[in-house]
Amino acid sequence: MSFSTTQGTDSSDLSGQRTFRLFLQIAQRDIATLFRTPWIIISRSLAFIIQLFVFAYLISRLVTSYPGYFDYYAVGAVVSTVASISFIIGYDIFEEAEEGLLDYLLTLPIPRREFIIGRAFGGAVRSMIYTIPLFVIVAVVENFANPLSLLGAVLDLFLIAFGVTGLSITVAVSVRSANRFDVVLALLELAVTRASTALYPLVALPSYVKILAPFSPVSFAADSARQALMKSSLDVLGLAGLVAFVVIFLGLGATFYFRRLEGGVYA
Amino acid sequence: MSSIHLIPRVIERDVRILFSDTFLIGIMFANFCIDLFVTAATFGNLIGSSFFLRIAPGSNLITAMVAAFQSGRDIWREKYIKDLASYLLTLPVSRRLFVLSRIVGGVARSLVVTIPGTLVISYLYDILFSPRLVEAFVIVGVFSLGIVGLSIAVSAFASTIEVFATVRSAIQLYLSFLSTIFYNVSLFPAALQPIVQTNPMTWAMAAFRALQSQGSTLYPISVLVGPSLAFALLGALCYLWYTRL
Repeated sequence: MSFSTTQGTDSSDLSGQRTFRLFLQIAQRDIATLFRTPWIIISRSLAFIIQLFVFAYLISRLVTSYPGYFDYYAVGAVVSTVASISFIIGYDIFEEAEEGLLDYLLTLPIPRREFIIGRAFGGAVRSMIYTIPLFVIVAVVENFANPLSLLGAVLDLFLIAFGVTGLSITVAVSVRSANRFDVVLALLELAVTRASTALYPLVALPSYVKILAPFSPVSFAADSARQALMKSSLDVLGLAGLVAFVVIFLGLGATFYFRRLEGGVYA
Repeated sequence: MSSIHLIPRVIERDVRILFSDTFLIGIMFANFCIDLFVTAATFGNLIGSSFFLRIAPGSNLITAMVAAFQSGRDIWREKYIKDLASYLLTLPVSRRLFVLSRIVGGVARSLVVTIPGTLVISYLYDILFSPRLVEAFVIVGVFSLGIVGLSIAVSAFASTIEVFATVRSAIQLYLSFLSTIFYNVSLFPAALQPIVQTNPMTWAMAAFRALQSQGSTLYPISVLVGPSLAFALLGALCYLWYTRL
């Protein structure tokens, strides 16, 4: 009896370890994919540097009605960049389906659940790998040194990255035409980042955007990160909103992706 | 049929390609709306209502820029994805005339895409029912000419879509942030001012602002013509160079 119990536990442990290893392999593949396309990293980094050190620096000299606009913009620029980068996973998934690579991936000895969650996790981790150096630049420029505040902000960045990855996967498996997919994702990216408080203070937004912006996941992440970095406190509401966003879109992305893979209504 | 008569056919083909996906045109207009009614409106609230009017044409010119780059992207797709480049070069039209037609087709596409935006800006500038509306379209057309040329030049050298997209992003950053869309040239550090002053976007914006102040657009447009023609020539030369390989 005791033997079989021991055997059962060992088998369960081994299975758990194997599942975790496969999950990590899938995530690792997506991380490696980003670094195979250095052009994307170069162009986005260049955009961030110019956005911060040219645009934000010059425009903040004109924005006299909102003191400290550069500081506000700097944190928001990191959040909007991590959101933008997280959208890239959708392009990869769309291309794989177009090129027939998805069929090969499905023959790998990896359960569907680990495959899907691994992809979302890999998408989020690679966004973080990309964004951390940019975040360090902002932390140095803004003199953010409190380790707990920095940790809180990194948590916000990871949550928004994870949620946007789920959103991007949802779009990638829902849109059929390649041209449309490109523009839908670009527009969604623009709408999610602009109709938020990441780059613009809520008081300055036009009334029609002001209604929506507080509910944007990018707003949750940006406000929570600012609260952590500038006021050294925790924005519980923002974090709760971010977790809800992650759960909803990771769930949706996984469901849609699973149906696509298994020939459901989206096949 | 003389090859001159084929020019309108080539232009028509490019315009038809644009309309083959009307959804894309709608999205570009949505992009314009977000730029104008979110970004420009927010900065108008932060800096002052006159600032909204000052930067408003930038939204339309950015849309023109996106549409113009779409022409280069289509040429790139013909070459690498659709494998149509060889067929197109067998058409009974000289290569010089062909590339000229493609550039004019690209400008026509940009003008079509920006019709709603140009009308919105003209309404904001109170010239919607004035003959000066024509000048607004001329500004967009001349500006697009240069960008179409640049996009064709990029499409001739970019071997992958990632390279094309990266160069496009870099050019778009230069046109958007190193120009006078948002701020005066005097705000830039001295080292950057020559770059800003030679930026076609700076002169397109100056021309639109002259429309707002009821001034003459002759000077800014005549300056804008210089880089636009130079970029169009560059695009044509790159296209011809690529077809000789």
